Amino acid sequence: MKKWTDDIVPRLLLLCFAVLPLVLGLGYALLYSFGIVGTLSTGVTTLYWAAAFRSGGLISSFVYSIYLSIVSICLCSFGGLWLACHMRDRLRQGILSYFIYLPMAFPAVVTAFFFLQFLSNAGFLSRVLYLLGWVHTAAAFPGLVNDRHDIGIIMAQFFSTLPVFVLLFLSVIENENLRGLTQIAQTLGAGSRQTWWRLTLPLLMKKSAPTLVLYFIFKLGSYEVPLLLGRSSPETISVLTVRKMQRFNLLDIPQGYAIAVLYAMVVMLLLIVSLKPSKQEAYV
Amino acid sequence: MSNGRPVTAFFVVVWCTVPAVVLLMLSFSAGWRFPLVLPASFTAGHWEDFFTGNSSDLQASCLVSLFIAAFVGGLATILGFGCSRWIASHRRKNLLLFIAYFPFVLSPVIFAVCLKYFFLRAGLAGNLAGVIFAQLIIAFPYSTIFLVSFWNNTIRNYVAVASTLGSGPAYINRHILLPAAKSFLLTCFFQCFMISWFEYGLTSVIGYGKVQTLTIKVFQFIGEANIYYAALSSCLLILPPVLLLWFNKKFVLQAAR
Repeated sequence: MKKWTDDIVPRLLLLCFAVLPLVLGLGYALLYSFGIVGTLSTGVTTLYWAAAFRSGGLISSFVYSIYLSIVSICLCSFGGLWLACHMRDRLRQGILSYFIYLPMAFPAVVTAFFFLQFLSNAGFLSRVLYLLGWVHTAAAFPGLVNDRHDIGIIMAQFFSTLPVFVLLFLSVIENENLRGLTQIAQTLGAGSRQTWWRLTLPLLMKKSAPTLVLYFIFKLGSYEVPLLLGRSSPETISVLTVRKMQRFNLLDIPQGYAIAVLYAMVVMLLLIVSLKPSKQEAYV
Repeated sequence: MSNGRPVTAFFVVVWCTVPAVVLLMLSFSAGWRFPLVLPASFTAGHWEDFFTGNSSDLQASCLVSLFIAAFVGGLATILGFGCSRWIASHRRKNLLLFIAYFPFVLSPVIFAVCLKYFFLRAGLAGNLAGVIFAQLIIAFPYSTIFLVSFWNNTIRNYVAVASTLGSGPAYINRHILLPAAKSFLLTCFFQCFMISWFEYGLTSVIGYGKVQTLTIKVFQFIGEANIYYAALSSCLLILPPVLLLWFNKKFVLQAAR
Protein backbone atom coordinates (compact mmCIF):
# COMPACT_ATOMS: atom_id res chain seq x y z
CA MET A 1 0.00 0.00 0.00
CA LYS A 2 2.82 2.36 0.92
CA LYS A 3 4.54 1.65 -2.40
CA TRP A 4 1.37 2.48 -4.33
CA THR A 5 0.88 5.83 -2.54
CA ASP A 6 4.55 6.66 -3.11
CA ASP A 7 4.08 6.02 -6.80
CA ILE A 8 0.86 7.89 -7.42
CA VAL A 9 2.22 11.47 -7.34
CA PRO A 10 5.05 10.93 -9.88
CA ARG A 11 2.69 8.85 -12.04
CA LEU A 12 0.14 11.69 -12.04
CA LEU A 13 2.84 14.26 -12.81
CA LEU A 14 4.15 12.29 -15.75
CA LEU A 15 0.60 11.73 -16.93
CA CYS A 16 -0.42 15.41 -16.67
CA PHE A 17 2.73 17.02 -18.05
CA ALA A 18 3.99 14.46 -20.57
CA VAL A 19 1.64 11.62 -21.54
CA LEU A 20 -1.72 13.40 -21.63
CA PRO A 21 -0.57 16.45 -23.67
CA LEU A 22 1.13 14.12 -26.13
CA VAL A 23 -1.82 11.77 -26.53
CA LEU A 24 -4.37 14.58 -26.71
CA GLY A 25 -2.35 16.86 -29.00
CA LEU A 26 -1.14 14.27 -31.47
CA GLY A 27 -4.39 12.28 -31.28
CA TYR A 28 -6.43 15.36 -32.11
CA ALA A 29 -4.03 16.28 -34.93
CA LEU A 30 -4.30 12.74 -36.37
CA LEU A 31 -8.10 12.71 -36.20
CA TYR A 32 -8.30 16.22 -37.69
CA SER A 33 -5.97 15.29 -40.55
CA PHE A 34 -8.24 12.35 -41.45
CA GLY A 35 -11.35 14.52 -41.33
CA ILE A 36 -12.80 12.76 -38.26
CA VAL A 37 -12.98 15.90 -36.08
CA GLY A 38 -12.93 19.62 -36.80
CA THR A 39 -15.01 22.19 -38.63
CA LEU A 40 -14.73 20.38 -41.97
CA SER A 41 -15.37 16.93 -40.54
CA THR A 42 -17.17 14.76 -43.13
CA GLY A 43 -16.06 11.31 -42.02
CA VAL A 44 -12.81 9.45 -42.60
CA THR A 45 -10.91 10.74 -45.60
CA THR A 46 -7.31 10.74 -46.81
CA LEU A 47 -8.00 13.79 -48.93
CA TYR A 48 -6.03 16.18 -46.75
CA TRP A 49 -2.99 13.90 -46.56
CA ALA A 50 -3.04 13.52 -50.34
CA ALA A 51 -3.37 17.30 -50.73
CA ALA A 52 -0.48 17.88 -48.32
CA PHE A 53 1.77 15.55 -50.32
CA ARG A 54 0.50 16.70 -53.74
CA SER A 55 0.98 20.40 -53.12
CA GLY A 56 4.73 19.73 -52.92
CA GLY A 57 5.23 21.94 -49.91
CA LEU A 58 5.45 19.03 -47.51
CA ILE A 59 8.26 17.06 -49.16
CA SER A 60 10.34 20.12 -50.01
CA SER A 61 9.80 21.46 -46.49
CA PHE A 62 11.06 18.23 -44.89
CA VAL A 63 14.04 18.05 -47.27
CA TYR A 64 14.84 21.70 -46.63
CA SER A 65 14.62 21.33 -42.83
CA ILE A 66 16.76 18.18 -42.89
CA TYR A 67 19.33 19.93 -45.09
CA LEU A 68 19.53 22.93 -42.74
CA SER A 69 19.81 20.71 -39.68
CA ILE A 70 22.56 18.54 -41.20
CA VAL A 71 24.59 21.55 -42.34
CA SER A 72 24.27 23.23 -38.93
CA ILE A 73 25.15 20.08 -37.00
CA CYS A 74 28.13 19.30 -39.26
CA LEU A 75 29.54 22.84 -39.02
CA CYS A 76 29.06 22.93 -35.24
CA SER A 77 30.61 19.45 -34.89
CA PHE A 78 33.71 20.48 -36.87
CA GLY A 79 34.01 23.79 -35.02
CA GLY A 80 33.31 22.26 -31.63
CA LEU A 81 35.76 19.39 -32.18
CA TRP A 82 38.48 21.73 -33.35
CA LEU A 83 38.07 24.12 -30.43
CA ALA A 84 37.70 21.39 -27.82
CA CYS A 85 40.81 19.56 -29.03
CA HIS A 86 43.02 22.58 -29.78
CA MET A 87 42.01 25.04 -27.07
CA ARG A 88 41.08 22.70 -24.25
CA ASP A 89 43.02 24.46 -21.51
CA ARG A 90 41.99 27.97 -22.54
CA LEU A 91 38.34 26.87 -22.63
CA ARG A 92 38.57 25.45 -19.10
CA GLN A 93 40.00 28.48 -17.35
CA GLY A 94 40.60 32.13 -17.97
CA ILE A 95 38.56 34.66 -19.86
CA LEU A 96 37.63 32.34 -22.73
CA SER A 97 35.90 29.94 -20.36
CA TYR A 98 33.41 32.76 -19.62
CA PHE A 99 33.00 34.18 -23.12
CA ILE A 100 32.36 30.81 -24.75
CA TYR A 101 29.13 30.61 -22.71
CA LEU A 102 27.85 33.97 -23.97
CA PRO A 103 25.99 32.78 -27.13
CA MET A 104 24.05 30.35 -24.92
CA ALA A 105 22.46 33.38 -23.26
CA PHE A 106 20.90 34.42 -26.58
CA PRO A 107 17.30 33.34 -27.19
CA ALA A 108 16.68 32.20 -30.78
CA VAL A 109 14.60 35.30 -31.47
CA VAL A 110 17.44 37.60 -30.37
CA THR A 111 20.02 35.66 -32.40
CA ALA A 112 17.77 35.95 -35.44
CA PHE A 113 17.28 39.67 -34.85
CA PHE A 114 21.02 40.26 -34.52
CA PHE A 115 21.87 38.41 -37.74
CA LEU A 116 19.06 40.29 -39.50
CA GLN A 117 20.71 43.55 -38.47
CA PHE A 118 24.20 42.26 -39.16
CA LEU A 119 23.83 40.55 -42.54
CA SER A 120 21.00 42.39 -44.30
CA ASN A 121 21.61 44.78 -47.21
CA ALA A 122 21.68 47.81 -44.95
CA GLY A 123 23.13 45.89 -42.03
CA PHE A 124 26.29 46.28 -40.00
CA LEU A 125 28.51 44.21 -42.30
CA SER A 126 27.27 46.03 -45.38
CA ARG A 127 28.12 49.39 -43.72
CA VAL A 128 31.63 48.22 -42.78
CA LEU A 129 32.23 47.11 -46.40
CA TYR A 130 30.88 50.47 -47.61
CA LEU A 131 33.35 52.21 -45.33
CA LEU A 132 36.15 50.11 -46.82
CA GLY A 133 34.94 51.02 -50.30
CA TRP A 134 34.04 47.43 -51.28
CA VAL A 135 30.37 48.23 -51.93
CA HIS A 136 28.88 51.54 -53.04
CA THR A 137 25.19 51.08 -52.30
CA ALA A 138 23.16 48.95 -49.92
CA ALA A 139 21.71 47.06 -52.87
CA ALA A 140 25.22 46.12 -54.07
CA PHE A 141 25.75 44.06 -50.89
CA PRO A 142 24.82 40.41 -51.56
CA GLY A 143 21.71 39.43 -49.62
CA LEU A 144 22.77 37.15 -46.77
CA VAL A 145 19.38 36.95 -45.09
CA ASN A 146 16.23 35.50 -46.65
CA ASP A 147 18.67 34.30 -49.32
CA ARG A 148 18.64 31.15 -51.41
CA HIS A 149 21.86 29.85 -49.85
CA ASP A 150 20.44 30.18 -46.31
CA ILE A 151 23.62 31.81 -45.06
CA GLY A 152 21.75 33.82 -42.44
CA ILE A 153 20.02 30.77 -40.94
CA ILE A 154 23.18 28.66 -40.95
CA MET A 155 25.29 31.40 -39.34
CA ALA A 156 22.65 32.05 -36.68
CA GLN A 157 22.39 28.36 -35.85
CA PHE A 158 26.18 28.00 -35.86
CA PHE A 159 26.47 30.93 -33.44
CA SER A 160 23.91 29.58 -30.98
CA THR A 161 24.91 25.89 -31.10
CA LEU A 162 28.72 26.01 -31.29
CA PRO A 163 29.23 26.63 -27.52
CA VAL A 164 26.96 23.70 -26.69
CA PHE A 165 29.05 21.40 -28.87
CA VAL A 166 32.31 22.74 -27.44
CA LEU A 167 31.07 22.01 -23.92
CA LEU A 168 29.78 18.61 -25.02
CA PHE A 169 33.13 17.55 -26.50
CA LEU A 170 35.03 18.98 -23.52
CA SER A 171 32.91 16.94 -21.11
CA VAL A 172 33.38 13.77 -23.21
CA ILE A 173 37.16 14.35 -23.30
CA GLU A 174 37.18 14.68 -19.51
CA ASN A 175 34.77 11.84 -18.72
CA GLU A 176 36.47 9.36 -21.05
CA ASN A 177 39.98 10.36 -19.90
CA LEU A 178 40.96 10.98 -23.50
CA ARG A 179 44.23 12.63 -22.51
CA GLY A 180 45.35 9.45 -20.74
CA LEU A 181 44.21 7.23 -23.60
CA THR A 182 46.07 9.42 -26.11
CA GLN A 183 49.26 9.16 -24.04
CA ILE A 184 48.93 5.37 -23.91
CA ALA A 185 48.36 5.19 -27.69
CA GLN A 186 51.41 7.35 -28.36
CA THR A 187 53.53 5.36 -25.91
CA LEU A 188 52.55 2.26 -27.88
CA GLY A 189 53.85 3.88 -31.05
CA ALA A 190 50.82 5.56 -32.64
CA GLY A 191 51.52 8.80 -34.48
CA SER A 192 49.48 11.94 -33.81
CA ARG A 193 47.50 11.50 -37.07
CA GLN A 194 46.78 7.84 -36.27
CA THR A 195 45.75 8.76 -32.71
CA TRP A 196 43.34 11.37 -34.04
CA TRP A 197 41.67 9.18 -36.70
CA ARG A 198 41.61 5.88 -34.81
CA LEU A 199 41.13 6.96 -31.20
CA THR A 200 40.10 10.56 -30.56
CA LEU A 201 37.57 11.11 -33.36
CA PRO A 202 35.77 7.72 -33.13
CA LEU A 203 35.55 7.94 -29.33
CA LEU A 204 34.25 11.52 -29.33
CA MET A 205 31.71 10.85 -32.07
CA LYS A 206 30.49 7.60 -30.53
CA LYS A 207 29.98 9.12 -27.09
CA SER A 208 28.41 12.29 -28.51
CA ALA A 209 26.15 10.56 -31.04
CA PRO A 210 22.94 10.55 -28.92
CA THR A 211 23.33 14.26 -28.17
CA LEU A 212 24.09 15.04 -31.83
CA VAL A 213 20.88 13.28 -32.87
CA LEU A 214 18.96 15.20 -30.19
CA TYR A 215 20.34 18.48 -31.52
CA PHE A 216 19.42 17.39 -35.03
CA ILE A 217 15.84 16.96 -33.78
CA PHE A 218 15.91 20.40 -32.14
CA LYS A 219 17.20 22.03 -35.32
CA LEU A 220 14.60 20.18 -37.40
CA GLY A 221 11.86 21.90 -35.43
CA SER A 222 13.45 25.32 -35.06
CA TYR A 223 11.02 28.15 -35.69
CA GLU A 224 12.16 31.68 -34.87
CA VAL A 225 15.42 31.71 -36.87
CA PRO A 226 13.93 30.37 -40.16
CA LEU A 227 10.88 32.60 -39.69
CA LEU A 228 13.01 35.75 -39.60
CA LEU A 229 16.00 34.78 -41.74
CA GLY A 230 14.56 32.15 -44.09
CA ARG A 231 13.10 32.47 -47.55
CA SER A 232 9.41 32.22 -48.34
CA SER A 233 9.77 29.00 -50.34
CA PRO A 234 10.57 26.35 -49.31
CA GLU A 235 9.76 26.87 -45.65
CA THR A 236 10.93 24.81 -42.69
CA ILE A 237 8.49 22.32 -41.16
CA SER A 238 7.56 24.53 -38.20
CA VAL A 239 7.04 27.63 -40.31
CA LEU A 240 4.96 25.70 -42.88
CA THR A 241 2.82 24.01 -40.20
CA VAL A 242 2.05 27.25 -38.38
CA ARG A 243 1.32 29.07 -41.64
CA LYS A 244 -1.12 26.35 -42.72
CA MET A 245 -2.85 26.43 -39.32
CA GLN A 246 -3.22 30.20 -39.21
CA ARG A 247 -4.56 30.69 -42.72
CA PHE A 248 -8.08 31.86 -43.36
CA ASN A 249 -8.56 28.97 -45.81
CA LEU A 250 -10.06 26.26 -43.58
CA LEU A 251 -8.96 23.53 -46.02
CA ASP A 252 -5.35 24.23 -45.09
CA ILE A 253 -5.84 23.43 -41.39
CA PRO A 254 -6.17 19.62 -41.80
CA GLN A 255 -3.08 19.71 -44.03
CA GLY A 256 -1.24 21.55 -41.25
CA TYR A 257 -2.25 18.82 -38.78
CA ALA A 258 -1.11 16.12 -41.26
CA ILE A 259 2.33 17.77 -41.45
CA ALA A 260 2.45 18.00 -37.63
CA VAL A 261 1.64 14.27 -37.30
CA LEU A 262 4.27 13.32 -39.88
CA TYR A 263 6.84 15.51 -38.12
CA ALA A 264 6.02 13.90 -34.74
CA MET A 265 6.48 10.44 -36.28
CA VAL A 266 9.89 11.42 -37.69
CA VAL A 267 10.91 12.82 -34.29
CA MET A 268 9.77 9.64 -32.55
CA LEU A 269 11.83 7.48 -34.93
CA LEU A 270 14.90 9.69 -34.45
CA LEU A 271 14.44 9.59 -30.70
CA ILE A 272 14.30 5.79 -30.74
CA VAL A 273 17.49 5.74 -32.83
CA SER A 274 19.10 8.29 -30.51
CA LEU A 275 18.28 6.65 -27.18
CA LYS A 276 17.92 2.94 -27.78
CA PRO A 277 21.00 1.36 -29.36
CA SER A 278 23.59 2.96 -27.11
CA LYS A 279 21.57 2.25 -23.95
CA GLN A 280 22.96 5.47 -22.60
CA GLU A 281 21.51 8.83 -21.77
CA ALA A 282 22.39 11.80 -23.91
CA TYR A 283 24.35 14.68 -22.39
CA VAL A 284 21.46 17.07 -21.64
CA MET B 1 48.89 22.13 -28.46
CA SER B 2 45.65 22.03 -26.45
CA ASN B 3 46.11 25.65 -25.41
CA GLY B 4 45.66 27.10 -28.91
CA ARG B 5 47.07 30.28 -30.31
CA PRO B 6 46.20 33.64 -28.71
CA VAL B 7 44.96 34.96 -32.07
CA THR B 8 42.44 32.09 -32.34
CA ALA B 9 41.30 32.78 -28.80
CA PHE B 10 40.89 36.44 -29.74
CA PHE B 11 38.68 35.56 -32.73
CA VAL B 12 36.55 33.25 -30.57
CA VAL B 13 36.06 36.08 -28.04
CA VAL B 14 35.14 38.49 -30.87
CA TRP B 15 32.68 35.96 -32.38
CA CYS B 16 31.02 35.49 -29.01
CA THR B 17 30.85 39.15 -27.96
CA VAL B 18 30.12 41.10 -31.16
CA PRO B 19 26.36 40.36 -31.11
CA ALA B 20 26.01 41.55 -27.51
CA VAL B 21 28.04 44.70 -28.25
CA VAL B 22 26.05 45.53 -31.43
CA LEU B 23 22.71 45.01 -29.68
CA LEU B 24 23.81 47.14 -26.72
CA MET B 25 24.98 49.84 -29.14
CA LEU B 26 21.64 49.78 -30.99
CA SER B 27 19.72 50.07 -27.71
CA PHE B 28 21.56 53.35 -27.04
CA SER B 29 21.24 54.59 -30.63
CA ALA B 30 19.26 57.17 -32.50
CA GLY B 31 19.44 57.66 -36.26
CA TRP B 32 21.36 54.59 -37.44
CA ARG B 33 20.93 55.21 -41.15
CA PHE B 34 22.88 53.62 -44.00
CA PRO B 35 25.85 53.97 -44.56
CA LEU B 36 26.73 54.99 -40.97
CA VAL B 37 28.61 52.23 -39.13
CA LEU B 38 28.05 53.94 -35.81
CA PRO B 39 24.78 55.75 -35.05
CA ALA B 40 24.49 59.48 -35.69
CA SER B 41 23.95 59.99 -31.97
CA PHE B 42 23.80 58.01 -28.79
CA THR B 43 20.98 58.36 -26.33
CA ALA B 44 19.96 56.80 -23.06
CA GLY B 45 16.36 57.71 -23.88
CA HIS B 46 15.19 54.18 -24.70
CA TRP B 47 16.55 52.84 -21.42
CA GLU B 48 15.08 55.83 -19.55
CA ASP B 49 11.72 55.05 -21.16
CA PHE B 50 12.06 51.48 -19.95
CA PHE B 51 12.96 52.40 -16.37
CA THR B 52 10.27 55.09 -16.14
CA GLY B 53 7.66 52.80 -17.67
CA ASN B 54 7.01 54.92 -20.80
CA SER B 55 8.06 52.33 -23.37
CA SER B 56 5.19 50.36 -24.87
CA ASP B 57 4.61 48.24 -21.73
CA LEU B 58 8.18 46.92 -21.91
CA GLN B 59 8.55 47.11 -18.14
CA ALA B 60 5.36 45.10 -17.66
CA SER B 61 6.53 42.53 -20.25
CA CYS B 62 9.84 42.18 -18.43
CA LEU B 63 8.06 41.55 -15.13
CA VAL B 64 5.64 39.07 -16.74
CA SER B 65 8.58 37.19 -18.32
CA LEU B 66 10.47 37.16 -15.02
CA PHE B 67 7.45 35.90 -13.12
CA ILE B 68 6.65 33.15 -15.65
CA ALA B 69 10.28 32.01 -15.91
CA ALA B 70 10.84 31.98 -12.13
CA PHE B 71 7.55 30.18 -11.49
CA VAL B 72 8.06 27.62 -14.26
CA GLY B 73 11.72 27.11 -13.29
CA GLY B 74 10.91 26.64 -9.59
CA LEU B 75 7.89 24.39 -10.07
CA ALA B 76 9.52 22.26 -12.78
CA THR B 77 12.57 21.72 -10.55
CA ILE B 78 10.52 20.72 -7.49
CA LEU B 79 8.21 18.40 -9.45
CA GLY B 80 11.07 17.01 -11.53
CA PHE B 81 13.06 16.14 -8.39
CA GLY B 82 10.29 13.91 -7.07
CA CYS B 83 9.48 12.37 -10.43
CA SER B 84 13.14 11.71 -11.33
CA ARG B 85 13.56 9.71 -8.09
CA TRP B 86 10.64 7.51 -9.05
CA ILE B 87 11.90 7.04 -12.63
CA ALA B 88 15.49 6.34 -11.54
CA SER B 89 14.38 3.40 -9.40
CA HIS B 90 11.72 2.12 -11.80
CA ARG B 91 12.27 -1.15 -13.64
CA ARG B 92 11.06 0.49 -16.87
CA LYS B 93 13.35 3.48 -16.51
CA ASN B 94 14.28 3.63 -20.22
CA LEU B 95 10.66 3.64 -21.38
CA LEU B 96 9.71 6.35 -18.89
CA LEU B 97 12.70 8.46 -19.94
CA PHE B 98 11.65 8.04 -23.57
CA ILE B 99 8.17 9.33 -22.67
CA ALA B 100 9.75 12.28 -20.88
CA TYR B 101 12.08 13.06 -23.79
CA PHE B 102 9.32 13.20 -26.40
CA PRO B 103 7.47 16.42 -25.41
CA PHE B 104 10.82 18.05 -24.68
CA VAL B 105 12.30 17.46 -28.14
CA LEU B 106 9.17 18.24 -30.18
CA SER B 107 9.07 21.66 -31.78
CA PRO B 108 7.25 23.77 -29.14
CA VAL B 109 5.32 25.73 -31.75
CA ILE B 110 4.05 22.57 -33.52
CA PHE B 111 3.18 21.00 -30.17
CA ALA B 112 1.35 24.20 -29.25
CA VAL B 113 -0.80 24.30 -32.39
CA CYS B 114 -1.76 20.66 -31.78
CA LEU B 115 -2.75 21.45 -28.18
CA LYS B 116 -4.41 24.79 -28.84
CA TYR B 117 -7.92 23.30 -29.12
CA PHE B 118 -7.70 21.78 -25.63
CA PHE B 119 -6.34 24.98 -24.12
CA LEU B 120 -9.25 26.87 -25.69
CA ARG B 121 -11.78 24.38 -24.32
CA ALA B 122 -10.21 24.53 -20.87
CA GLY B 123 -10.22 28.33 -20.85
CA LEU B 124 -6.44 28.37 -20.68
CA ALA B 125 -5.75 30.13 -23.99
CA GLY B 126 -4.71 33.78 -23.93
CA ASN B 127 -3.98 33.96 -20.21
CA LEU B 128 -1.04 33.65 -17.84
CA ALA B 129 -2.12 30.33 -16.32
CA GLY B 130 -2.34 28.74 -19.77
CA VAL B 131 1.13 29.94 -20.79
CA ILE B 132 2.62 28.68 -17.50
CA PHE B 133 0.95 25.28 -17.90
CA ALA B 134 2.07 25.05 -21.53
CA GLN B 135 5.67 25.91 -20.62
CA LEU B 136 5.61 23.33 -17.82
CA ILE B 137 4.84 20.69 -20.46
CA ILE B 138 8.35 21.35 -21.81
CA ALA B 139 10.20 22.32 -18.63
CA PHE B 140 8.96 19.48 -16.40
CA PRO B 141 10.16 16.65 -18.70
CA TYR B 142 13.50 18.46 -19.04
CA SER B 143 13.98 18.77 -15.27
CA THR B 144 13.01 15.10 -14.82
CA ILE B 145 15.54 13.95 -17.44
CA PHE B 146 18.21 16.25 -15.99
CA LEU B 147 17.72 15.13 -12.38
CA VAL B 148 17.56 11.39 -13.10
CA SER B 149 21.37 11.40 -13.23
CA PHE B 150 21.45 12.61 -9.59
CA TRP B 151 19.98 9.35 -8.33
CA ASN B 152 23.12 7.25 -8.69
CA ASN B 153 24.28 4.34 -6.56
CA THR B 154 26.18 6.56 -4.11
CA ILE B 155 23.05 8.56 -3.26
CA ARG B 156 20.99 5.39 -2.98
CA ASN B 157 23.58 3.92 -0.63
CA TYR B 158 23.54 7.06 1.53
CA VAL B 159 19.77 6.81 1.81
CA ALA B 160 19.96 3.09 2.60
CA VAL B 161 22.55 3.64 5.33
CA ALA B 162 20.55 6.51 6.86
CA SER B 163 17.39 4.38 6.84
CA THR B 164 19.22 1.46 8.45
CA LEU B 165 20.44 3.80 11.19
CA GLY B 166 16.86 4.83 11.91
CA SER B 167 16.41 8.11 9.99
CA GLY B 168 12.91 8.91 8.78
CA PRO B 169 12.08 10.14 5.24
CA ALA B 170 11.81 13.78 6.36
CA TYR B 171 15.22 13.66 8.04
CA ILE B 172 16.78 11.95 5.00
CA ASN B 173 15.31 14.55 2.66
CA ARG B 174 16.42 17.49 4.79
CA HIS B 175 19.87 16.37 5.91
CA ILE B 176 21.06 14.06 3.12
CA LEU B 177 19.25 14.48 -0.18
CA LEU B 178 18.75 18.25 -0.33
CA PRO B 179 22.36 19.16 0.61
CA ALA B 180 23.69 16.58 -1.86
CA ALA B 181 21.36 17.75 -4.62
CA LYS B 182 21.88 21.50 -4.06
CA SER B 183 24.08 22.13 -7.11
CA PHE B 184 21.93 19.83 -9.29
CA LEU B 185 18.76 21.63 -8.23
CA LEU B 186 20.27 25.09 -8.80
CA THR B 187 21.54 24.15 -12.27
CA CYS B 188 18.19 22.56 -13.09
CA PHE B 189 16.36 25.71 -11.95
CA PHE B 190 18.64 27.88 -14.13
CA GLN B 191 18.07 25.67 -17.16
CA CYS B 192 14.29 25.57 -16.70
CA PHE B 193 14.26 29.32 -16.09
CA MET B 194 16.06 29.79 -19.41
CA ILE B 195 13.75 27.39 -21.28
CA SER B 196 10.83 29.53 -20.16
CA TRP B 197 12.65 32.87 -20.60
CA PHE B 198 13.65 31.97 -24.20
CA GLU B 199 10.27 30.58 -25.21
CA TYR B 200 8.52 32.24 -28.13
CA GLY B 201 6.58 29.81 -30.36
CA LEU B 202 4.52 28.12 -27.66
CA THR B 203 3.85 31.40 -25.83
CA SER B 204 2.68 33.13 -29.00
CA VAL B 205 0.26 30.30 -29.90
CA ILE B 206 -1.16 29.58 -26.42
CA GLY B 207 -0.90 33.19 -25.22
CA TYR B 208 -2.70 34.48 -28.36
CA GLY B 209 -0.57 37.62 -28.20
CA LYS B 210 -2.35 38.60 -24.98
CA VAL B 211 0.45 37.37 -22.71
CA GLN B 212 3.15 39.80 -23.75
CA THR B 213 6.46 38.28 -22.75
CA LEU B 214 9.75 39.89 -23.81
CA THR B 215 10.26 37.47 -26.70
CA ILE B 216 6.81 38.39 -28.04
CA LYS B 217 7.76 42.06 -27.69
CA VAL B 218 10.98 41.57 -29.70
CA PHE B 219 9.00 40.09 -32.58
CA GLN B 220 6.45 42.88 -32.28
CA PHE B 221 9.17 45.56 -32.46
CA ILE B 222 10.84 43.82 -35.42
CA GLY B 223 7.47 43.81 -37.19
CA GLU B 224 7.14 47.54 -36.50
CA ALA B 225 10.73 48.11 -37.78
CA ASN B 226 11.54 49.65 -34.39
CA ILE B 227 15.10 48.32 -34.16
CA TYR B 228 16.06 50.42 -31.13
CA TYR B 229 13.33 49.01 -28.92
CA ALA B 230 13.89 45.53 -30.38
CA ALA B 231 17.56 45.87 -29.40
CA LEU B 232 16.59 47.14 -25.95
CA SER B 233 14.24 44.16 -25.45
CA SER B 234 16.99 41.85 -26.71
CA CYS B 235 19.44 43.26 -24.15
CA LEU B 236 16.85 42.71 -21.42
CA LEU B 237 16.42 39.13 -22.64
CA ILE B 238 20.16 38.45 -22.61
CA LEU B 239 20.90 39.96 -19.20
CA PRO B 240 19.39 37.36 -16.80
CA PRO B 241 20.83 34.36 -18.69
CA VAL B 242 24.28 36.00 -18.71
CA LEU B 243 24.08 36.53 -14.94
CA LEU B 244 22.80 33.00 -14.38
CA LEU B 245 25.49 31.48 -16.60
CA TRP B 246 28.18 33.47 -14.81
CA PHE B 247 26.78 32.48 -11.40
CA ASN B 248 26.48 28.86 -12.55
CA LYS B 249 30.06 28.80 -13.81
CA LYS B 250 31.52 30.72 -10.90
CA PHE B 251 29.80 29.11 -7.95
CA VAL B 252 27.68 26.09 -8.79
CA LEU B 253 30.11 24.20 -11.02
CA GLN B 254 33.04 25.00 -8.72
CA ALA B 255 31.08 23.81 -5.70
CA ALA B 256 30.05 20.65 -7.56
CA ARG B 257 33.69 19.91 -8.40
